[in-house]
Amino acid sequence: MIHSFFGGVFPAVQKNSTRRKPIAQLSRPPARVILPMTMSAGGCAAPLVQVGDRVTVGQPIAIDAAQRLPIHASVSGRVADIAPMPHPWGGAGDAIVLENDGLNTPWPGRPAPLDPETLTRDQLLERVRTCGVVGMGGGAFPTWQKLEQAAGHIDTLIVNAAECEPYVTADHRLLLERSDQLLRGTRVLARCLGAKRTAIVTEGDKLNAVEAVERRLRKKNSRVELYAIRTRYPLGAEKQIIQTVTGREIPTGKQPVDVKCLVLNVATVYAIQEALFKGLALTSRVITVTGGAVIRPRNLWVPIGTPLETLLEEAGGLKEPCARLLIGGPMMGFAPDELSAPAVKNVNALVALAAWEQQDSQAESVCIRCGKCVSSCPMHLAPTFIVQAMQAKDVRRLRRLHTEDCIACGCCSYICPARIPLVELVALAKEQVGKEAV
Amino acid sequence: MTGPVSLPRRLPPQVAPPSTTETMMLDVMIALVPALCMAVFFFGVRVLLLTAVSMVTCVLTERLYRRLRHLNDTTGDRSACVTGLLLAMSLPATADYWVPILGGVFAIVVVKQFYGGLGKNFMNPALGGRMLLATFPMLMTQWSQPMDWLPLFKVDAVSAATPMSFLHEGTLPPQTLGQLLLGQKGGCFGEVSAFMLILGGIYLILRRVISPRIPLSYLGTVAVLALLFPGEGCNPFLWMLAELFSGGLLLGAFFMATDPATSPVTPRGQVMFGVGCGLLTGLLRCHSSYPEGVGWAILTMNCCVWLLDRAGLPRRFGVSNFAVTRALLHKTRVSLGKIKFVKPQLSLLRDLREGRMPGEAHLDVIRVYAKAAGTLAAGVLVMLGVIFSVHRWTDYRIVRAETAEQQTLLSQVMPQAAFCSEAPYRANGALRITAAYSAENELMGYCVEVQSQGFGGVITMEVGVDLDGKVTGVAVTDHKETAGTGTMAMTPAALSRYIGRSGTLRTSGRNAVDAVSGATATSKAITTGVNRALSIVANLDKAEEIDYEDSET
Repeated sequence: MIHSFFGGVFPAVQKNSTRRKPIAQLSRPPARVILPMTMSAGGCAAPLVQVGDRVTVGQPIAIDAAQRLPIHASVSGRVADIAPMPHPWGGAGDAIVLENDGLNTPWPGRPAPLDPETLTRDQLLERVRTCGVVGMGGGAFPTWQKLEQAAGHIDTLIVNAAECEPYVTADHRLLLERSDQLLRGTRVLARCLGAKRTAIVTEGDKLNAVEAVERRLRKKNSRVELYAIRTRYPLGAEKQIIQTVTGREIPTGKQPVDVKCLVLNVATVYAIQEALFKGLALTSRVITVTGGAVIRPRNLWVPIGTPLETLLEEAGGLKEPCARLLIGGPMMGFAPDELSAPAVKNVNALVALAAWEQQDSQAESVCIRCGKCVSSCPMHLAPTFIVQAMQAKDVRRLRRLHTEDCIACGCCSYICPARIPLVELVALAKEQVGKEAV
Repeated sequence: MTGPVSLPRRLPPQVAPPSTTETMMLDVMIALVPALCMAVFFFGVRVLLLTAVSMVTCVLTERLYRRLRHLNDTTGDRSACVTGLLLAMSLPATADYWVPILGGVFAIVVVKQFYGGLGKNFMNPALGGRMLLATFPMLMTQWSQPMDWLPLFKVDAVSAATPMSFLHEGTLPPQTLGQLLLGQKGGCFGEVSAFMLILGGIYLILRRVISPRIPLSYLGTVAVLALLFPGEGCNPFLWMLAELFSGGLLLGAFFMATDPATSPVTPRGQVMFGVGCGLLTGLLRCHSSYPEGVGWAILTMNCCVWLLDRAGLPRRFGVSNFAVTRALLHKTRVSLGKIKFVKPQLSLLRDLREGRMPGEAHLDVIRVYAKAAGTLAAGVLVMLGVIFSVHRWTDYRIVRAETAEQQTLLSQVMPQAAFCSEAPYRANGALRITAAYSAENELMGYCVEVQSQGFGGVITMEVGVDLDGKVTGVAVTDHKETAGTGTMAMTPAALSRYIGRSGTLRTSGRNAVDAVSGATATSKAITTGVNRALSIVANLDKAEEIDYEDSET
């Protein structure tokens, strides 16, 4: 039984330039990697090494005391510097700069692989924590905390392979090429967390990946369910994917655990199983480098901390001036301040949009009350009324319109024929409501 | 050591929107082209010129208004073009060229720009302009026949029956279903071709310019109403199809009711809007004096949009309908419980001020009340006076004058009768037949108003004929004869010679009334008229029993 969510939009998927390209290693390993001390949402780690120390791949070089989450060296080499460096999320923060020696020496002290049959819940949590796994779909929330909350309280485990953002194909390629490992990880997770139902959700535009997973499922006679759902943005959002699989809606302020669900990104599941069965820390991930301005769009295995400019060079550089460089897809992505910023654990794509692909910078016109924003909002909001109320500074009305439910998916801004930046205005309204509440 | 970096605020989507206001307006115009082509096929090139006049008027008016008010020019969004096109398509093909100009200026200036322009008007401009024109009944009821190509200028006033007038009378229209669908029928030129309008509507829905919620709920409601209440003795299914395909229903449902600015924003509100339009249309088509109700239905629902928007807000994410209803009921109960009935303190003479004289304080209070009462009374009196005088000066006076005129005529043509009333007979050659009654309510005869050709022009006269077929009196009410000579045949003496005569009168020989010398032609004309009146009364079809019980006598 599959459900559906309300609204949504159908942007052109634009994935043809990378969907058939296998995940490739970097042709030239980065000379320097930058490992920011902020790798997870709200986290701030303290270095464990000094300038000049030699490090190996997978060696913990910093630890976040509050979240008990280590940061690992993604290449082997020498600690060149510990200083504030630009961060891809904006601004600058302390970072450890490693000089790559190109040897990729593995850390001798890395943990031994665990046996999937005898794995316990505590072992799982401990291993996920020490390997530094965070949410790789964008949230960057420490995964071990999420698992700890969910363990024993969920009945549905959802593996999110619905990459609904246009342009991005990292999860698609991962699901296609590493189906075996993903399924193994999924099964072990489901068993340890006590989930009765396990679902892998993907979209209709990834049929080769669907076929690959289905073939393996049939061979193993597994109870894992696979859903290929019609491509509609934002299927990959946490609340929408839970609504699609179970029909349950998460009220604002509640967590997925409150409706007995856990959603893990497919890249996170892959990182978890690497940690469990190979003892490898999260030191690299798949990143799609694409966009109309890029000469050779491709999917890459990238050591965490590789500067964004190295990724662009790897994709052949720019063939025309780039109108907008984005981390993540064009619907929910954000622009890095500087190209020297490193790729961190939640960066799944680097999209260089050419001028002809980008939303034309025409001035916004007046609202014609077409109602498209209302009928496309997956959170059942009325953005046009929220903006009206915000301009009238009517906080009571804003609260009655449930402004705080907004998940900033951007459907309303995308669909608006008058080009009104609704999602930004609603975010402002949300701030207004928040201020009033304090 | 710096603190943690937080995740940045998202940028708005960077990809181009699937449609803009301009492309939506262009799509509406494209969707209307097939229907316009059919109109050209049925009514000739005149409709193209009408459309051009209407569109140019709307665009120029908008540009002029915005310039005069020192506002930015908004004709680039093409909404004025759409208004002009829709306005023209809801006009009859016989309309004069000033008609779309008047409608277009009203639509753009009053309905749209006075409220702030595109998106802020609460009524559909095209429909507002059209319904203003519909208040001139002679403009909007002259329907021409299809396949009767109209000339570009000088259109004769013709009036063909539209399918709507048949449906209004309770019978199926004579056109076949195919003719109704293709548009071979009378009506506004844009609304005749149902098939082309449906085609345009499907195009709009596929292009996601409109959502199917409004048209489907609108048409569905009308269809259900038609199935439930078909005309007497008609096949309900055929009746439903005729209702759907005739009149302005399809044009209204696909192009007017879906106007974004004047329809609800919320999905549920849109469905309610459509159902409301359907109910009102069904009601107005059956139970109003005007055969068509689409325009008024949509305009009425336009005024309810603010309410539907509130009622149709989507359910909050994560809260089920059941929980919402329960919370609402609980809230209502709590707030009702908060109402406390306090014994009202109706002391009219509260907070009195101390005065020097006994009772002076009371006087102040009384003065206030008296002043208020006086103002109220004055207002009421003025209003009453206005209403009374208007009534007296219009209604009463006219009726009185008419009655007095009728009485003088009656005393001339049938002195024995006390009063007369309209007779339920019609006859060729008679302008009007009235029955005359005695004071005892007995039928005494008929007064027939006839015309005949005199020397100078038409002579109109009233001839009284009693039940034996004898003339009781003749009165000339209107003539163009020469004063002095022609009027000699109209003197009371000359006219009294007809009294008591019956049969066919001649001007000489047997049963003759001699012509008055000097006014032979006039005399002959009067004799002809009297003869006509006599024959009319003699041939009145009295076989049919007429029940006078219901009439006001």
